[in-house]
Amino acid sequence: MASKVDLQIAAKTRKLGSGDLDKCYHCGICTATCPLSANGVSFPRKVLRNLQLGLKDRLMASPEPWLCYYCGDCSESCPQGAEPGETVMAARRFLTSLYDWTGLSFKLYTSKAWEFGAVIGLGLLVVLAFVIFHGPMVTELTPEGGVQLNSFAPVHVIETFDIVMGGFLALFLLSNVFRMFLHVMGDDRKKIPLKYYFSEIMTLPIHFATQRRWKDCEDPGLWKRHMVLVFGYVTMFVMIVGFLPWFQTEKIHPFWHPQRLLGYLATAALLYVTGYMIVGRIKKSRLIHKFSHSTDWLFLILLFLTSLTGILLHLFRVNGFPMSTYVTYVIHMAILVPMLMIEVPFGKWSHLAYRPLAIYLHKVKQKAAAVK
Amino acid sequence: MALKRRIGVFVCHCGGNISDHVDVQQVVDGVTGEPGVAVARTHMFTCSDSSQQEMIDQIVEEKLDGLVVASCSPKLHMFTFRGMAERAGLNPYQYVHVNLREQCSWAHTDDKRGATEKGIHLVRAGIAKCALTRPLTALRVETQPRALVIGAGIGGMRAALALGDMGLTVYLVEREEAAGGWARQAGRMGPEDQNGPDVAAGLLERIVQHDTIMLYTNAELTEKSGSIGDFNVKVRVGPTDVVDLNVGAIVVATGFDTYQPAEGEYGWGLDGVIDLAQFRQMLAEGRLERDGKPLRDIAFVYCVGSRQSKSESCPEPNTYCSRYCCTAGTFAATTLHALETELDQTVNQYHLYRDIRTYGHLEMVYEQARREGAIFLRWEPEQPPVVTQADGRLQVKAVDTLAGGDALEIGADLVVLVTGMRPRENDQLNSLLKIPESKDGFYNEIHIKLRPVETVIDGVFIAGTSQGPKTLAESVASSLAAVAKTGGLLMKGYVDLEPLIARVDTDKCTWCDECLKACPYGAIEKTVCGDKEVALVIASVCKGEGGCVPVCPHDAIDIEGFRDDQIRAMIDASLKEATL
Repeated sequence: MASKVDLQIAAKTRKLGSGDLDKCYHCGICTATCPLSANGVSFPRKVLRNLQLGLKDRLMASPEPWLCYYCGDCSESCPQGAEPGETVMAARRFLTSLYDWTGLSFKLYTSKAWEFGAVIGLGLLVVLAFVIFHGPMVTELTPEGGVQLNSFAPVHVIETFDIVMGGFLALFLLSNVFRMFLHVMGDDRKKIPLKYYFSEIMTLPIHFATQRRWKDCEDPGLWKRHMVLVFGYVTMFVMIVGFLPWFQTEKIHPFWHPQRLLGYLATAALLYVTGYMIVGRIKKSRLIHKFSHSTDWLFLILLFLTSLTGILLHLFRVNGFPMSTYVTYVIHMAILVPMLMIEVPFGKWSHLAYRPLAIYLHKVKQKAAAVK
Repeated sequence: MALKRRIGVFVCHCGGNISDHVDVQQVVDGVTGEPGVAVARTHMFTCSDSSQQEMIDQIVEEKLDGLVVASCSPKLHMFTFRGMAERAGLNPYQYVHVNLREQCSWAHTDDKRGATEKGIHLVRAGIAKCALTRPLTALRVETQPRALVIGAGIGGMRAALALGDMGLTVYLVEREEAAGGWARQAGRMGPEDQNGPDVAAGLLERIVQHDTIMLYTNAELTEKSGSIGDFNVKVRVGPTDVVDLNVGAIVVATGFDTYQPAEGEYGWGLDGVIDLAQFRQMLAEGRLERDGKPLRDIAFVYCVGSRQSKSESCPEPNTYCSRYCCTAGTFAATTLHALETELDQTVNQYHLYRDIRTYGHLEMVYEQARREGAIFLRWEPEQPPVVTQADGRLQVKAVDTLAGGDALEIGADLVVLVTGMRPRENDQLNSLLKIPESKDGFYNEIHIKLRPVETVIDGVFIAGTSQGPKTLAESVASSLAAVAKTGGLLMKGYVDLEPLIARVDTDKCTWCDECLKACPYGAIEKTVCGDKEVALVIASVCKGEGGCVPVCPHDAIDIEGFRDDQIRAMIDASLKEATL
C-alpha cells in the first residue's frame, strides 16, 4: 500500500524538539559525514525525509533512528542549519510516543504540565504513603552505631513494593517493545523463519550491555562516559530491584564489602556523569548539548538527586543520625519512584530496550535477506 | 594571362605543427617554378607581427599582385591575411588561403613524405586559383533609418522604445487586439514581485507618447520584399486596411505559446486540474477556494511539456527545458504563501519536480518557497506522477527519489500543471521571412554564443522567446541585443557586404527559372536584358551559397571567388606529379 504523505507529522515532531525541517534540501552531507550510516541503513537524511513528508508507517518500521548515538557531527556539517542530529533525537522521541499505546508518552514529552505534574504527583503520593504507613521512628542506634532503618521502612514491605513497581514497568515497557517489534517487522514477520531469531539472539544482550556500535563515532569519549553511566545505573537497579534485602541492611559492612563498594562505585559513576552532563548542558559546550529538551533536564536532575540523596542517606545511616536518615529516605524514594515510573516505560530510558531490539531485528532481517 | 602574374607564396611552419610532419622547405622548392610565382619562402609563424611585416615588405618590393599563404584553417586566419594584403596595397580578394595544417600535417602525422607531396599539390592548387583572381570590392548598401518590430509583448515593446530613443522611426506591429503579450495575464511575476499588467501598461504608455514609434494592433505582415537596409513591407491593419512601409531592418519578437497538455496528461481534463496560467489568475483574484470550499492541499507538477522523451503517446517531444517554469512555479509558491497569511488560511503545497532549475539569483525564490514550508518531491521520468480522482478528491501518486521506496500518495484539492513554452504558430510570417528554425521549432540564430540575435537573413534579427524559452529578464536582454545590432546597422547609414556572390552571364542565360527554385534566400529575380528575359542576382541578398550553379543547364552562373575556370585550374595543378 502506498504511504500517505501527512504534513501534520512535521508539526508534531517540531513539538518534540526537531530542527526546522523546511531547512533541509537533501544534499546528503549529513549521511556522508555519519560514521555509522551504511548501505541499507542510511541516515540521518532519510529520517529527515520521512519526517518532512510525514511517512509514519515507514518511520515506525525503520531501525535507523535507533542506530544513531547522536555524536552531532551531522549537525556540525549541515550547510543549512537543519540540525539533523537533534532531529533524529526528536524522531526517537516520536517513535517512543508511537510505540507507547497508552498515549502518555506523547503527553509527557510535549506538555510540561503533564511532565512536572506526573513527577510531583507521584512524589507526593510516595511521601503520603510514608506519612501514613511508616514504621516506628527509632532514635536508638544499633550496636554498631548505625540507624535502625528497617523499623522505619521494613525491607520486606519495600521489596514487595519494588516487585509491584518492577512488574508495572515491565508490563508497559514490554508491551511497547512488542508493538515496536510488530511495526519494524511488518509483513516480514510471517516470512522470516524462527531460526534466524535464534541465531542472532546474542545481539540483544551484547548491544544492551556494551552499545558497542557507538565506539565507531568520531569521539569515543561520549561512549565511554555513557558506559560509566550504564554501569552505575544497572548496578544500582539490580541491587535495589533484585536484591533489596541484601542491599538495604542495618548491619554496617566493612568498607571493602561488595555491598558498600559496589554502592560507592555506582554512586560515584552516576554523580560524575550526570554532573558532567548537567554542566555541559548549562554551558552548551558540546554540540550535542546545544539543545536541551525539558525531558533531557528532568532525567538528569532526577538521576543526580537520586544518587545524591542515596549517598547522603547511607552516610546518615552509618554515622547514626536517625531523623536525617528517615527524612532523606523519604525524599530519596519520592524522587526515585517517579523517575523510574516515567522514564523507563514512557520516556528517555525506554531506549535501553528499543536500541538493542532495533539492531537485533535489523540483523534478523539482514540474515534472512542474505540467505535469500 | 597567367604568365603576367607576380604571386608571392608563403609557407608557415606553425611552430612545428606543420613543419614536424610536412617538409616546408621541400614544399617551397616544389612550387618555386610554378607559373606566376615570383617569391616563395617559409616563415616560422606567418601570423606573427614580424612575419606579416616582412610579407608586406616583399609584396611592395616585388610588386606582387597575388598572394598565397599556406598555414592553418581559413576559419582562424583568413581575415588576418586579407587585412595584411590590404595594408600592403593588394586587393584582399586576390589573396588565397591554403589549409596546410588541419587538412595536411595534422591528418598525416605518420607519413612525412606523403604529407609533403600532398602539401605541394595543395599549394600548387592555391597558386593556380590565385593566378585567376581579379580585384573585387565589397558591396556597399545604403540603409534606411527605420525599423520594423514584429510583436508587441514586453520584449518587442522594449525593443521599439530603445530603437525609438536612438532617433530611429519604429513601426511596432502586433497581431492581437492589444499590446502587452503574456504579461497582461501573468498576474504577479517573480523574482521581484511585479504585477504583469502594470509592467505592460507602463511600457505601452511610453510607446504611445513616443514621437517616432507607430504601434499597429490587430495587424499582420502580409508581404515583404527588398533586402538588408531597404525592405519594403505591407502590413494589414484591422480587417481591411493595408499600409506600405519601408524599413532598413526587421526585429522579430513574436514570443511563445504555452504548452497545451494532452487529455489525460497528468490528469489534464479532470475537475481540479489546471495549468499555471490559470492558477496565477486564481492568485491574482485573491481567493483560495474551489466550489465554495477552502483549498487545503495543492500539488504542482513541473516539467509538463518540457524535457520530454519520445514515446508512443508523445511522438514529437519537446526535448528542451523551458527555463522559466521552475522560477514561475516556486514564485507561485511564495505568492500563495503570502495570500495564505493574508487570508489566515493554511494550504499544504506539494511541488513534484524533476530538477529545480532556479539558476543564478533565482535560487532565492526556491529557497524562500522551501523555507515557507512548501514540500518538494523529486520524480524521475521513468516513473512520472499519476493524477487520479477518487471520492471527489484528487489523488497524486508519485515515487519520490529523495524518500526512496514505492510510490507515495498525496491527497489534493487542486493540481497545477507547470507548463512549459512552445514555439508560436506563425506560418504566414515564416513563409515571408524564411528565418531558419531549430528542430524544436524556434527561430535559429547564426551562432548561439557569438551571433545570438542575427539570422542568416541579413537585416532580420530575432529577439526574446521567438528564439527559444527564456525568462522575461532574458527576453528583454535579447531584445536589447537585437536593438544594438539593428541600431549599429541603421545608424551608420550603410553596410558593406561580401562580393563573393553569384554572377549571371546574360549571354548564356535563357531564364528557365531553375536557379530561382534552387535559391533558399530569394536572391534571384527575373529581369529583361536587351530583348530577352534573364536571371538577376540581388547582390545584397545573395550569400554566395552556390546552390544555383550546378542546376543551371547552360552554365550561365558562377560564384565569384569560386569560378569554374578557377576550380578547373586547381584540379589541373593538383594532378601534376610532385617529385621530391
